[in-house]
Amino acid sequence: MTVIARRLAGHLARGLVMILVVATISFFIVRSIPGDPVAANVQKLIEQGMAPQAAEQATRVLYGFQPKGTLWEQYVDYMGGLFTFDLGQSVTHAGAPVTDVLADAAKWTVLPVLAGTLLSFLVGIVMGVYAAIRRSGKLGDVLAISGSLLHGVPQYVLGLLLSAIFATLIPILPADGPVDILFEPGFNAGYIGSLVEHAVLPVATYALAAYGGWILAMKSSVVTVLGDDFILAAELRGMKRSIIFRYIARNAILPLFTILALSLGLLLGGAVFIERIFNYPGLGLLLIESITMRDYALMGGAFLIITVSIIVANIIADLFYSVIDPRVRSGEEVSA
Amino acid sequence: MSKQAPGVRIDGLTVVYKTPAGELPAVRDVSLTLEPGSITGIVGESGSGKSTLALSLLNAVQPPGRISAGSVEIDGLGDVVGLGGEQLRKARGRHIGYVFQAAQNSLNPLKTVGKQLLDLGRSHGVDDLRGLVREAKELLGRMGLDGARVLDSHQHELSGGMRQRVGIMLALVLNAHVVVLDEPTTALDMITQANILKIVREVHAERGLTTLVITHDIGVVAEVADRLAVMYGGRLVEQGPTREVLGSPRHPYTRGLIKAIPRLVGDIDEARALPGRPPTLATVPKQGCVFRERCALRMDVCDDVDPEAVLQGTRTVACHAVTVKEHA
Repeated sequence: MTVIARRLAGHLARGLVMILVVATISFFIVRSIPGDPVAANVQKLIEQGMAPQAAEQATRVLYGFQPKGTLWEQYVDYMGGLFTFDLGQSVTHAGAPVTDVLADAAKWTVLPVLAGTLLSFLVGIVMGVYAAIRRSGKLGDVLAISGSLLHGVPQYVLGLLLSAIFATLIPILPADGPVDILFEPGFNAGYIGSLVEHAVLPVATYALAAYGGWILAMKSSVVTVLGDDFILAAELRGMKRSIIFRYIARNAILPLFTILALSLGLLLGGAVFIERIFNYPGLGLLLIESITMRDYALMGGAFLIITVSIIVANIIADLFYSVIDPRVRSGEEVSA
Repeated sequence: MSKQAPGVRIDGLTVVYKTPAGELPAVRDVSLTLEPGSITGIVGESGSGKSTLALSLLNAVQPPGRISAGSVEIDGLGDVVGLGGEQLRKARGRHIGYVFQAAQNSLNPLKTVGKQLLDLGRSHGVDDLRGLVREAKELLGRMGLDGARVLDSHQHELSGGMRQRVGIMLALVLNAHVVVLDEPTTALDMITQANILKIVREVHAERGLTTLVITHDIGVVAEVADRLAVMYGGRLVEQGPTREVLGSPRHPYTRGLIKAIPRLVGDIDEARALPGRPPTLATVPKQGCVFRERCALRMDVCDDVDPEAVLQGTRTVACHAVTVKEHA
């Protein structure tokens, strides 16, 4: 266990450094995009005949805050704020703290992405095992072809297709946001039912888009393990089929856990199109909005949360690996 | 279960592999008797069919291969070729132990040896799992290992020689009396090779086994085997008591093999490599002698007629030239 503790400490230290580096880079890059909205507003008011002092005052009232100091001072201020989870204020959300805006949006991204990914993972690996075992038969062909097809279709095309079919052509499912505004938010059947109903299409899109990759990855992983000597050895020792199946499954699924953790990290930022199609006010839409509005603090926050999720996913993948793979656990080289 | 070592009679065994060019034989019409309590060595080059023959003893030829003719009778078990399903599964491990080449990873990399031992016990309905573990520790101790430590180890924590001994333990722990060792010393260093061979000999004698050793290394056979069978192109070309076959080889292929071994003393140039290459599944001649392309004694008859294995005293040889000489 000390090995794992040591790994964790190392990962956390490296992760922290990476986060600080990314925060720094995004701080400066974001502010080098032309079109500062505060400056633009002050400029606009001055052009409308307002005195510079009054223009700045009015802008401060409008956005609820006023940038102070040089860029360097702002940077020091921003980095200091990071440690208290203060990412500044959003100019587009009337000075609301970026952290709150992000947290509000994150729930519309995290839950559907998580549901879609886990669903596709579970179905994908089971089908992948069948595709591998029946690879010389019809079932295997059908599964492999369906996997390749779905894997090849971009996520947003699937989203548009599902939206067109189930929301427009045969309007049985909604695609107009995360929930009906008629319902009072809270723990009541109407609200939750509406949430679930609205989540069907986006979750199905995430799941279908990822499913192809899982089935193909699992199939090839199982085929590789099937060819391993220890499977034949187990057969020649007269091991029960159920035990051999467990040997195959556990060895084959191992590399997929890493992909799973990494894809969960990546998906937080990759939900832009799907949220657009199904009108989910999640992180993807928020990122687009912040870029269009030149909302520096919000942009930086959105980039940061995507970075953090990828780094955290990496750490989880690595730790998880050392729990399930004894070769990694003992700190020795993996000799496959 | 009888204490006496069982005999094994392979009769007219043919194993074919399905290829785009049709079904091609990897083992053709092989007959071989493993005397109860004996160690038999099978020598041959890569692709001679020796591993396929070894797998046939467990009726475990892997697709696209299949046993197309012949039988493998094992005392107390019957014809293995006729076994299938659960019967076959239970015979494997219980009656016939199979030891893999040391370089092959014959253990599940994710589980300790001990857990795999328990899986093996459960697969074969062993009630007394504690007894099984005790037996395994004893066997490992007998082979010079710390049983408790090995059972608590994963494959990657064991050296090649240790893995090989674990393989032997797993083959014997259910009290199998027919043991097949496939290249037991390949990829091991010389000291470990010698150790493993010593262990094979001793365990064989102590437990009353009937053992088959598959190897490309004549030195290994000379070390352990009572009887020696030489395979070439899927055919058994010569067999007999090890000393006799090595001392006065009759089949031109056996002679070539032995001549090709460099001696420790004397001129290194005395070792003569056999000209040509061994046939592959696709290039094995359909009729006539399989060895004729590389044979110094080739005659006209060799092109058309496959020589039958003829018993000559204690020896069986399949060669027109040798047989003719004897009869002349």
